[in-house]
Amino acid sequence: MKIEILDSKGLKVMSVTGDIDMYSSPDLRKELMQLVRKKVSPLLVDFRGVSYIDSSGIATFVEGLKNMMTYGGKLRLIGIPEKIMEIFCFAKLDRVFEIYGTFDDACNN
Amino acid sequence: MTDSVIEDVKLAVDEACANVIKHAYRGDTRQKIVVKFKLRKKGFEVIIEDSGIKARPELIAGRDLEEVRPGGLGIHFIKRTFDVFQFDEKKTKGNRLRLIRYLGGGNEDRNLGQ
Repeated sequence: MKIEILDSKGLKVMSVTGDIDMYSSPDLRKELMQLVRKKVSPLLVDFRGVSYIDSSGIATFVEGLKNMMTYGGKLRLIGIPEKIMEIFCFAKLDRVFEIYGTFDDACNN
Repeated sequence: MTDSVIEDVKLAVDEACANVIKHAYRGDTRQKIVVKFKLRKKGFEVIIEDSGIKARPELIAGRDLEEVRPGGLGIHFIKRTFDVFQFDEKKTKGNRLRLIRYLGGGNEDRNLGQ
């Protein structure tokens, strides 16, 4: 898994590529919580390059979202691949996260 | 099996092995996990064996999906893919988890996103 933190149109974007699993989730958590501690909002997470996610990865994003909610922060997930979206829907998390198809959609909301 | 089902099986087996590391081996990744699979007429069977702390099946439950909190999803990911989730009570040391996904009967294309 690879994580890049980018600034795009004045917004923070966390771009994640590769597999998010029990080995890589701690790295993801570290990066995510650093941004949460800085109270970044909105934070956009680009999922287009994510090839796999397990329950530890999902848990990391749920934890991040819950922490962001304490300061009214917005966590926006972009470009979730179909198979991964299926997992979010099964876990009923499509109702919890703000999910957008494209970067522009996420910016315009 | 379709590619989509294969991905579901991969995730479910991954979650089951993660549970072994977390609970049976208390996070010790050096311990051995044996994963076997069999393709039978009735379905696809995966057997996961460890020699760690005995599981207590009566205490294994995922979180309520309406409740939003980290954790508690792995067991749901296993049970949505496999029709049978059963610990072998005959195994005296460690655990033997048997997972079976029935083939045919129209469940191959079950929509897991609903």
